[in-house]
Amino acid sequence: MKLTNVDYSYQAGKPFIANATAEIQVGKITSIIGPNGAGKSTLLKLLTGQIKPTAGKVEINDTPIDELTARQRAQKIAVVAQQNMVYDDLTVSEAVKTGRIPYHSTLSVIDDEEIDPFLEITSLTKYRDKSVGSLSGGQQQRVWLAAAIAQEPDYLFLDEPTTYLDIRYQKRLMTFIKQLNRTEKLTVILVLHDINQAFKISDNILMMAAGKIVAVGPKNQLMTRNKLMDLYQTKITQVEVPDFGKYFIEIPD
Amino acid sequence: MKKRERLSYVGILVLLVITIAISLILGAQTISFKQLISGISGGSSTEMNVIMAVRVPRIIVTLISGGMLAVAGALSQSVFRNRLADPSILGVASGAELAILLGAFILPGLAVGKIIFAIIGGIVALLLLMTKDNLRTPYRLIIVGVALNIVFVGITQLFSNGTSGSSSSFNGVTWNEAWLVMVVGLISLLMAVILSPWANYLKLSDDKLATIGLSVITIRVTLLTVIILLTSGVASVVGTIPFIGIIVPNLGRSLVGRDYQTLVPFSMLSGAWLLLLVDTVGRLVVLPSEISAATIMTVAGGIFLIWLIQRGKLNEINQR
Repeated sequence: MKLTNVDYSYQAGKPFIANATAEIQVGKITSIIGPNGAGKSTLLKLLTGQIKPTAGKVEINDTPIDELTARQRAQKIAVVAQQNMVYDDLTVSEAVKTGRIPYHSTLSVIDDEEIDPFLEITSLTKYRDKSVGSLSGGQQQRVWLAAAIAQEPDYLFLDEPTTYLDIRYQKRLMTFIKQLNRTEKLTVILVLHDINQAFKISDNILMMAAGKIVAVGPKNQLMTRNKLMDLYQTKITQVEVPDFGKYFIEIPD
Repeated sequence: MKKRERLSYVGILVLLVITIAISLILGAQTISFKQLISGISGGSSTEMNVIMAVRVPRIIVTLISGGMLAVAGALSQSVFRNRLADPSILGVASGAELAILLGAFILPGLAVGKIIFAIIGGIVALLLLMTKDNLRTPYRLIIVGVALNIVFVGITQLFSNGTSGSSSSFNGVTWNEAWLVMVVGLISLLMAVILSPWANYLKLSDDKLATIGLSVITIRVTLLTVIILLTSGVASVVGTIPFIGIIVPNLGRSLVGRDYQTLVPFSMLSGAWLLLLVDTVGRLVVLPSEISAATIMTVAGGIFLIWLIQRGKLNEINQR
């Protein structure tokens, strides 16, 4: 997946994303990090084809993303949003089935068996007839992850997946994502606020500030105390945690 | 299908058959059950001829209209993502009725014109309703819709010299009208049943739908077209009958669940039964006169809706 000289403006004449050029390595986990308002979520929308660049191009497997039909795109790219709004209510099974829509006529009935493996892999089988609204935040997040995996995508995007989860679920989710990446050879792109989480899970890091891509590369090269202090414009200390490795702490003034 | 759903379907089918039989037998001219059976199996009598000419078309129109109104309500609740949405409350039905009246001024004597004008009226009402702000705020949609409805009813009254413009009655329904309702009704109801998976998809956000390869605009516009057909079809033959579109699908949800593939056919059957019941009661209680189904639905339906809201049955609007 490649971005070449991509601009994007919400208001004409005021580019929000400017001249973004980057390549996402296939089969790796890449985290997009940067301060609030840096344009991380907008970049994610550009990469997933949810919005069109005002200039430049986004390519997936050497094909411009806007040349793909919505259905073709949905077979290659799945997105787990930060917040998953549901109007009315639906069961876990109905929610996960939505991930199979790209492979069926939009009016056809999707068989229960078709989603069995995706429920299994996310440990949701016993909840299949429960309503999504009755589940905990962590379980709901798993439902949308199962729906995204059911799309059998090449690229899985997650926008701030841990925001509404307690630390126990955060850890479980991250382990699961890493496992998916390793076993299914899925390319994963995350937008993350927590730099330590990003450091722990990622192979590569994409740093953004003020609508620009500041750097892309392997995490060990980019995640240094100085580079992070430059990026977030704040004092950061690096410590060594046994069995974890380097850990960044923001020191309040 | 789960046991509860199956039981609900069986229950409504039994109620339908019983109510149809009662409605055929009882009236200003009552026939015996024996006469009815002999009439159905081909025998003819003076009473049966009257029933075939008067009561049968009325029952057909009532059943199909009831089904159409309930399904229009169910689909509106999906499209507007609001469980109080219903064409009769949002001014779509009264818009259709106003357009029929205006059409009669412009092109009098055009029989087929009625449904065309009704469709135009329905479209205009929906265009006025479907602003971004209205769609985003559930209560705003209802308030604007209610206001729009009052305005349309007011203009209709103005044009019909202060008397109610509503012709909402099944009294005097002819076979011609029955055929029109059958054609429009069966086409639009069939479309609704086929398109019911799309109504399920609208439970997800527009962003989510886009990422699974669905065109939100296509889904919305297609379902709105079906809603307009259903609403205008009824409005052009019998006028506006309120509340069926809210009460039936919302009670249906507690019986057969929230999957529109089950809910739409169930609403169709229940709406048909409810309207036939109401019309039959209205026809029988003050013989030889009658109370129109619209009047009974306005009073009883309104009270029932208030009860439903007070009991918190509709509390879950857009909470998640």
